[in-house]
Order: sequence, then structure tokens, then C-alpha cells
Amino acid sequence: MLGRGLKRKLSDYEENMAGLSSAFDSSRSLPYPLKRQLVLNMCLTKLQTYKMLVEPNLHRSVLIANTVRQIQEEMRQESNQQPVNICPGIAPSSHSYTGMESSGISLQLPSGVSQQESNCCDLRSVEDPIENSLLIVSDDDMSSAISSILKDLDFVEDISPPTCLVPTGDDQPKFPENTGLKLEDDRQDLKGAECVFGSFEISNSTSYLKDLAIDDIFEDIDTSMYDSDFCCPPLMPPRSPSLATEEPLKTFPSCNSSSASNIQICRTDLSELDHIMEILVGS
Amino acid sequence: FLGAGGGNDIQWCFSQVKGAVDDDVAEADIISTVEFNHSGELLATGDKGGRVVIFQQEQENKTQSHSRGEYNVYSTFQSHEPEFDYLKSLEIEEKINKIRWLPQKNAAQFLLSTNDKTIKLWKISERDKRPEGYNLKEEDGRYRDPTTVTTLRVPVFRPMDLMVEASPRRIFANAHTYHINSISINSDYETYLSADDLRINLWHLEITDRSFNIVDIKPANMEELTEVITAAEFHPNSCSTFVYSSSKGTIRLCDMRASALCDRHSKLFEEPEDPSNRSFFSEIISSISDVKFSHSGRYMMTRDYLSVKIWDLNMENRPVETYQVHEYLRSKLCSLYENDCIFDKFECCWNGLDIVMTGSYNNFFRMFDRNTKRDVTLEASRENNKPRTVLKPRKVCASGKRKKDEISVDSLDFNKKILHTAWHPKENIIAVATTNNLYIFQDKMN
Repeated sequence: MLGRGLKRKLSDYEENMAGLSSAFDSSRSLPYPLKRQLVLNMCLTKLQTYKMLVEPNLHRSVLIANTVRQIQEEMRQESNQQPVNICPGIAPSSHSYTGMESSGISLQLPSGVSQQESNCCDLRSVEDPIENSLLIVSDDDMSSAISSILKDLDFVEDISPPTCLVPTGDDQPKFPENTGLKLEDDRQDLKGAECVFGSFEISNSTSYLKDLAIDDIFEDIDTSMYDSDFCCPPLMPPRSPSLATEEPLKTFPSCNSSSASNIQICRTDLSELDHIMEILVGS
Repeated sequence: FLGAGGGNDIQWCFSQVKGAVDDDVAEADIISTVEFNHSGELLATGDKGGRVVIFQQEQENKTQSHSRGEYNVYSTFQSHEPEFDYLKSLEIEEKINKIRWLPQKNAAQFLLSTNDKTIKLWKISERDKRPEGYNLKEEDGRYRDPTTVTTLRVPVFRPMDLMVEASPRRIFANAHTYHINSISINSDYETYLSADDLRINLWHLEITDRSFNIVDIKPANMEELTEVITAAEFHPNSCSTFVYSSSKGTIRLCDMRASALCDRHSKLFEEPEDPSNRSFFSEIISSISDVKFSHSGRYMMTRDYLSVKIWDLNMENRPVETYQVHEYLRSKLCSLYENDCIFDKFECCWNGLDIVMTGSYNNFFRMFDRNTKRDVTLEASRENNKPRTVLKPRKVCASGKRKKDEISVDSLDFNKKILHTAWHPKENIIAVATTNNLYIFQDKMN
């Protein structure tokens, strides 16, 4: 048993996998397609686990994705050579199904798997417990697993300029922008925006409550005195990349109506802006 | 094996161990890097909690001529703090990934330390004197009433207890999107490189707001990504040459004089795969975790999961030597993949030219003598902690009948890994880091 001395609670799945990988390592009689399927399942499981992390490890993700690609390529070549699949073979691309569930680790069986199943029964009788733990994965699934984890890693991308060099007479070295400077610019923009809001009493309040629903708090407050004063030009949300991932501020509808709900919507948005400002300014 | 008898074989003895005795390891105490400075007088460690601890070798004791000076704590400081990147909602770990020393130019010592995103230049200086005898201030710092001053005197320096101060002199930030895995100081001692998974940047030690991007392997479409940078190092003598290793087991040598962006390598070192060893995990275990030049710069050493390879810079198509670190793990790759051990990044180091050292599991570490072709497995454990106890070579039994004193593969503790080791630049003193302890061994002096 590996990892002696490490106390951890093994879920059923993990115990299964530990047993399977030991079987892979020690057994010589395990048929190759089964071994391959086991490795593939382990890879896809890992990729799925990484997807749930805030910041997946790029190095590991690439290595695992390459292993999946390698197995995928092998399976494709086999299916090209043999029209009848050896168990547990690939499903041709027409067998697309919903793909992996994000919550569970189990992979759904494609609907049209019966033909392969009948070819599988011989092997199934040989290695029952292992076979039962392995599920069939389609070619599409493998590709989508690889794509999605690598695309996710792109989300971590920087704000630095594009990597292609602008051709010049002699080679110019590239300077990645100091993103600190960029933040500075953004802060200027936001400060400008805040000045526009300066006339709103509520938005100037520093004691806004983040966790509670604004609507609930102000339900019983008489807002009639604000209604007639609420004549402002529609506000344009500041265009800054740092807010790109945040929901852009809504352009406020013309505020001539006396509806209380309009005011509450405005308050929510302004509070969000305040919240963002607080984080950026670091107060 | 080394130590079998006579001649030039080194017999390694326990010298010291630093760190907590507890079996319960505090996460922050996990050692993440170990590095001697250029003279070997100072030994720095970085840990997961962002701290740097520097040990200093005592001046040799004249009476005890059979042992070298001990290493004692010289300075401890918090190099990096955890940060939160609000734009991406990501926490930036404070773990110190690498420390590299600058050669000493004056009384102070300088080192570079880096976490995943930010590199810092630290100045470590000593203060052993302080001025006394001010006219306007008392010794405790309070100001004197000027009317009580009747004579003038010149303040003099008087000795005080040694104080070692560490101060950050430069902070090199915001240049890496991905995680920094290497830093390497150029032989010009003015510039250095930093490498992350996809890019390598060149810095000037004096300039923090700009860096030059010299390697960029990020594809336009991330879905096409198949290879990442795993380590990089400047050539020890040629200031325009550096190498970087990849997750596919290749090493590229680049010359900065060829072009500003070194996307095209000058040399590509790659060994064709041995078809008899092919498995599903072949690519994963070929990923290079460390690359180190020999002192002369004629050779370089790479570490992948199962082996250490020595390359001659003049020969690109295969290494000149290959040493198996723990070949008995080849039949356990699936289990090691399942528990993620297969991704462990072992480092390696030279004694200069002849002997290379690297870590393994169960707190074992291995040394390979290039001349005699002999190798030895030693263990870093508190059981052998009497000074000048010669370390007993260990042996792992791969299969079959286990002899006495051998350990079977299945009994190895895969949580006890030695990832970081360092060799004194001038003497036979080595520093070996287990999870949270630092062991210092030296050769038996007769």
C-alpha cells in the first residue's frame, strides 16, 4: 500500500481507484484495452477535479490532457482499422451525450452502447469487478474534457499586450505592461464616476450593508421625499477593463417616475460600485 | 557503492539537523528551497510560509580540527506574504519557490527570492557598531535640554551585539501571468531571468518597472497547448546563453544575441524514447523537473521522474550518461499517478563536475559518481543523528526475496520525499531538506 502513514478518509470511489491502480500495476493478465480505459478514466477524473479548483495547475493539466490525447489517438486508429470494436471500445462521434456531470465523478453511458456491450461480455466475465467500475467514454467527451480545462486556464490570462511582435526595422524587445500602471488608470476612471454619484446621499454613506438585501432594509422607509429630486441624466458606466469581469453598471432609466423600486435598483447598483471601490482603494 | 573502501570514495557523516522534531508538520514549515551562497559560508532555506532562514557557518574551530564549522541561524525574515488578486479572485501563495544568491561585492549579502508571481532582492547586512556620545540626545534617544549642553564632543562608534538586518531593496512584480518556477542570475551579475510555465523574462537588477520577454511559448489558442516550461538557467560563463526545459523532456538552448525573442532555439536536446519502456505514463515521467549546469558549463544535468541525465552541450541527440534514481518505481506508475506522486518535482545538484545528487522517497537521497560509476543511497533521518556517525548505505528491494536491511518497495513512505538538496560550492558539505527538516552532512575527515 502506498502512502503509508497518511491518514485520510477514503471515499468509496477513492478506495476503488486505489485498488484499481494497484491491480493495473501488479496484474499482468489485465487486458490492454482495460488498462487503457482505466488510465483514461483516471485522467478525465483528474481533469474534472481540476476544473473545480479556482486555479488549476497548468503543468499537470497539460500533462494529463496530453495523455488523454494519446489514448484518444490510439482509440481512433483502432476504430479506423476495426469496424467492430473491441471492448470497451470507442463510440463513434455520432454517439454524443450530455458529457460529464459536473457534480459527480461518474460518466454517463452513451445510449447506443449495446453493440459494444455484446462484444464485451467475454472480457467482462474475466475481470468483473474492474470492468464494472469502468465506463465508456466517447471521443467527443475526451476532446471536450481537454478543451474545457485548457480554456479555463486561459481565463487566468493577463492584461498584457498581445504576444505578436510588431515588425520593425530591428527586433524590438517586448515589454509586458506593468499592470500596476493599468490599475492606476482604472482608478482614475472610477474616481471620476464616483464624483457623478456624489450628489446621491445614499451612495455617499460608508455604512452600507453588504450582506443584507438592500430592498429589505429600506422597505419601511418613506422615500417620497427623494422622488421629486430624482432628476438626473442617465449615467454611463465607466468603460474600464478591470470591471470587465464584474457586471457592468446598469445605465439608469430616466428617473422621473416616482416608483420606489427604481430607487431601490439604483441603490443596489451604487452599493456594488462602492463595494468595488473599497476593494480597489484598499480602505 | 560509495564508501565501500579506500580511495576517493566519500564517507558521509551526520552533522546537524534543523527544524521541528514533531511528526506533525505545520504546513508553513514545509521547506521549499535550499541554496548555498557562492562561498558556502551561508545556507538559505525558503518555506511554504514565505519565510527565509539563513544559516551561517562558524569559523573553523582550531581545537577541533576534525570537523568543519557548524551552521547556526544567522537571519530569519518574512520574504513574501500571501496576496489576493482581486481582479481574478485568486490567492497568490507566499511559498518561496526559489532562492538565488548574488556574488558578494561588499560587506552586505544579496539574494533573490521568488514566489509564484513576485521576485524580491533582499539585502542582508550586519550591524555590530553603533554611534554613541551624541550632543543633543541621551543614550536612550530622548532629546537633551539644549541649555544643559556645556561641552561638545564627537560621537564615536562602539561595539554592540551583532544585529543582522534584512531589507527588501527591489521588488520585481507584475510580469508573470503564470507561476514562476525558476530564477537564474546571469554571469554578468547585472541581469537575471525568471521563468513561468509559458514565458521567460529578462530583468536588470536595478530596474523593477520593466522586463524583457525573451521566450514565449503560449499558443494563440490555449486549447493547442501541449508543452510548458519547467525550469530555466543561465550558462555559468556565457552571458548570452541560457537553457530551458519542458514538460515533454526536451531542453532548448538559446542565444540572446540571435534575436530579441528567443522562440527559436539554437540547440534542442532530446533523447528518443526507448520503445521497450513505453507506457501510458511515458510522457508524464519524461517531464523535466530541474536543469543544472556543471560549474564549467560544458555539461548540464536534467532530472525527470525516474532518472538523472548528463548532457554534453555539444551533443543534442542523446545524453552522455543516464543514472536511474529509483527504477523500481517504473512498475508502480499507475498507483503513483493515482496519488499524484508522479508529479513530484525533484531537484538535482552537482558537486561541480564529478558527483551528482538528487532526492527520492522515504527520505532517501542518491549520489552518482560520474568517474567511478558507483552510486549510493543514503537516508536523512533522526535515527542517525549522532555527530560524525557515518551514514549507512540503504538498499531498496525491487522484487523477490528481501535481504536483511533492505526495504521493499511497498514499505516506502511516499509522503517522505526529498525534493531539495544543495552541495557546498567548495567543500564536501551537503544540505538535504526533508519535508520540514534540514539535514547537514559532511564527509568524514580523517
